[in-house]
Amino acid sequence: MKRALPLYAAFAYLFLHVPLAILAIFSVNASRFTIWDGFSLRWYRAMFADRDLLESAANSLIIAVAATVLATVIGTLAAYALWKKASPWLAGSLYLSLVTPEIVTGISLLAFFQWIFRYLHLRLGMHTVILAHVSFSIAYVVLVVMARLRSFDVALEEAALDLGETEFGAFYRVTLPYLAPAIAAAALLAFTVSIDDYVITSLVAGVDSRTLPMVIYAMARRGVNPVLNAVSTVVVAGLGGLILISERLRKA
Amino acid sequence: MTSTPANRLRAFFLTPVATVMLATLGVPLAIVTAYSFLSRGPYGGVEMPWTEENYTRLFDPLYAGIFLRSAWVALLATAGCLVLAFPLALFIARSGARKNLYLALVILPFWTSFLIRLYAWMFLLRDTGLINTAFISLGLIHAPLPLLYNEGAVLLGLIYGYLPFAVLPLYATLERQDPVLLDAAADLGATPWRALFRVTIPLSMPGILAASILVFVPCIGTYIVSDLLGGSKTVLIGNLVQNQFTSSRDWPFGAAASIVLIVAAIAMLLLMRRSREELL
Amino acid sequence: MNRRRFLEHIAQTTALPTAISLAGCSSAPRLNVYNWSDYIAPDTVANFERESGLRIRYGTYESNQEMLAQLLGGNSGWDVVFPSADYIGPLRDLGLLAPIRHELLTNLDSLDAEFRTPPWDPALQWSVPYMYGATGILYQKQLVPAPQSWADLWNPAWSGKVTMLDDAAEVFGACLKKLGYSLNSGDPSELRAAAEEAGKQKPLLRAYLNAEVRDQAVAGDVAAAQAWAVTAAQAIAAAPERLAFVYPREGFVRFADNMAILRESRRVEAAHRWIDYLLRPPVAATIVETTRTATCNGAAYALLPESVRKDPVLYPAADVLKRGEWLEPQSKGSQRLRDRLWTQMKSS
Repeated sequence: MKRALPLYAAFAYLFLHVPLAILAIFSVNASRFTIWDGFSLRWYRAMFADRDLLESAANSLIIAVAATVLATVIGTLAAYALWKKASPWLAGSLYLSLVTPEIVTGISLLAFFQWIFRYLHLRLGMHTVILAHVSFSIAYVVLVVMARLRSFDVALEEAALDLGETEFGAFYRVTLPYLAPAIAAAALLAFTVSIDDYVITSLVAGVDSRTLPMVIYAMARRGVNPVLNAVSTVVVAGLGGLILISERLRKA
Repeated sequence: MTSTPANRLRAFFLTPVATVMLATLGVPLAIVTAYSFLSRGPYGGVEMPWTEENYTRLFDPLYAGIFLRSAWVALLATAGCLVLAFPLALFIARSGARKNLYLALVILPFWTSFLIRLYAWMFLLRDTGLINTAFISLGLIHAPLPLLYNEGAVLLGLIYGYLPFAVLPLYATLERQDPVLLDAAADLGATPWRALFRVTIPLSMPGILAASILVFVPCIGTYIVSDLLGGSKTVLIGNLVQNQFTSSRDWPFGAAASIVLIVAAIAMLLLMRRSREELL
Repeated sequence: MNRRRFLEHIAQTTALPTAISLAGCSSAPRLNVYNWSDYIAPDTVANFERESGLRIRYGTYESNQEMLAQLLGGNSGWDVVFPSADYIGPLRDLGLLAPIRHELLTNLDSLDAEFRTPPWDPALQWSVPYMYGATGILYQKQLVPAPQSWADLWNPAWSGKVTMLDDAAEVFGACLKKLGYSLNSGDPSELRAAAEEAGKQKPLLRAYLNAEVRDQAVAGDVAAAQAWAVTAAQAIAAAPERLAFVYPREGFVRFADNMAILRESRRVEAAHRWIDYLLRPPVAATIVETTRTATCNGAAYALLPESVRKDPVLYPAADVLKRGEWLEPQSKGSQRLRDRLWTQMKSS
């Protein structure tokens, strides 16, 4: 067993990473087919020339940042309040948002927006996508922050109260700093979930708010496209770099 | 409830999340439920009269078959994920100082786009994809293997996509286990394999249950994997629901199927509650 | 630190994302065009933008149903769409279309005579024909015997290498033709028989693909496919020595895609300018040459080189064309039955 385990782990990691590595390798293949034809950056050039693609990437980033900030704030406050005293309805609704299949969430939000837009004269756009993303991200944030809260000694807060702090002050100056790593982790999780979402976004995005996953899906449906290889390499490298940086920051 | 400062703070903190949840979960689900009892408009949308026809139609063996098939595929994917994830989680939990690095390496693909990972498999599995091209050029086979556009490809896509979801809870449980127990087992004469099956795995049940649910629930509602890797031939519940809102233009029927899906998901949720693994 | 300061903090952190999302609302004057994929030349949009000073947002779709699903809400955000002929009637009945103002279109007469008064919109009140086509069989030349009829796509020898379009009207159309009925049949017994045929074919199929089949045919993954003539022409242009196209013996679907303006559009004049631009013969001719489509624009057709005009895939001989049938919108009851049979067939 001592030897079997690391061997198995090696294969498992290969299984996880090789497909992405292959995409990266073929993203610099001059030929558009699976035969190696020489090194070339033409697919990266094509990628940067695609206005639609770049615009959708920008949209994705904007939406992810906005949704992350909102979800993290709302979720952290919610987690704290729920930790102090449980609320079965709210906890239940958060559970529900986690376990509801994405297609159902998307369709229900679409139905809701279409119904409400008859009275509000709005249309689908960045705001609907951000709202949708905030909605499904909150549960993840609450999950992560709650986990950290469980190991928090409430006596510390009580001590602060004894020393004259308000309820809010105790939260802000004692608990919140303790939660900082969890909040950072939750934000990272919310960001990833938002930037990668396809199903829900595709249903509630309007004309002006196409996101990167939507463009990728449209391209993937039409078959193998080396530009997509280039996109995937950039995305993996980008997000991977983000992870490494955040790990470094965490340790510093 | 008395209006103490603590309670006021709590109410204040809970207002945003309650508003968001009500607006984006409560009301939408109410609307979908209403739709599920209406009739279909000629080209989509809903109209009067009220009817329970959509639900009774779901009892047709055809659709019951889809639910069962989706559950079966999800079950297979879950089993596959568990089998593949457990040894990996075990390895990470026992790897000492390098734990975080190995964990990060598992999570890294998860951070990248799910669609891209599916696309990677399309690239590999197609008749003129990398795997077939490599095998043919090596002389191992003469005609391309049909690796794509079947249920096997869908299963592969699901397992690959959700493997990290299984690894994390398993790792969390395994990491907390006291190594002393394994020493005790060894002292009593158990081989490492025996200890695995008699001690480690039973102790990991909460993690196994959590991992199962975290994989099963998304799998049962999936439609992209069956679209991209299944060639629109494999219809799972996710596809059925999505089709009703696009090509088949039967929103009420799609709504009814959605409600049934949610009910199934809630049933899973209640099952998780019983495992005493408190997440929220 | 008190609660008010905290509130200010929160407001500051959330103000930015909220502002960002609202900023998306105020954008430059744009025309939103929603078209089929690969239905326009690479520089058409850029040229139009340069000439008119308008900005175009150009989105694409793969099927009429996809397009319709977006429009049903009544405020999709699109201005110009390109529905197929059999969708014009339904869109009009749903109140989704804005009337076409002929006085704003100077190039309307460059349309081919047949398309100046098409059966689905004789006075061109709601639509302006754009490109037409038909559905046939795209196949690898090395296939023996070469497919000549829809029935050939049920050949078990080709199991796993055949695709059909992911469209109920097309698949059932092929099945109806195979059985000798009309494409537009609303007869329940005929439709059920057609659905049964489709069900029998499903296990033999590789996948249901629309325009996505083009790249797969070129790569050699697909032996025979039910494909639109446009897709086929594009595929053959990419691999002429390997691919061929045939109009099935039993008959086939003829369709035409039209330009239409949505009633919800607030840029009706700009939309008309875009349509007028696409009607310009040189512009239409360029599009045809780059995308291999069959244009409804007679004046543009005259500008095309002989080799393109005589292309049997896009412009088949008259006796071939006679076997084709235009797709017509179905009655409510017939549409319901077709949709239901489609769901059943796909789910089995």
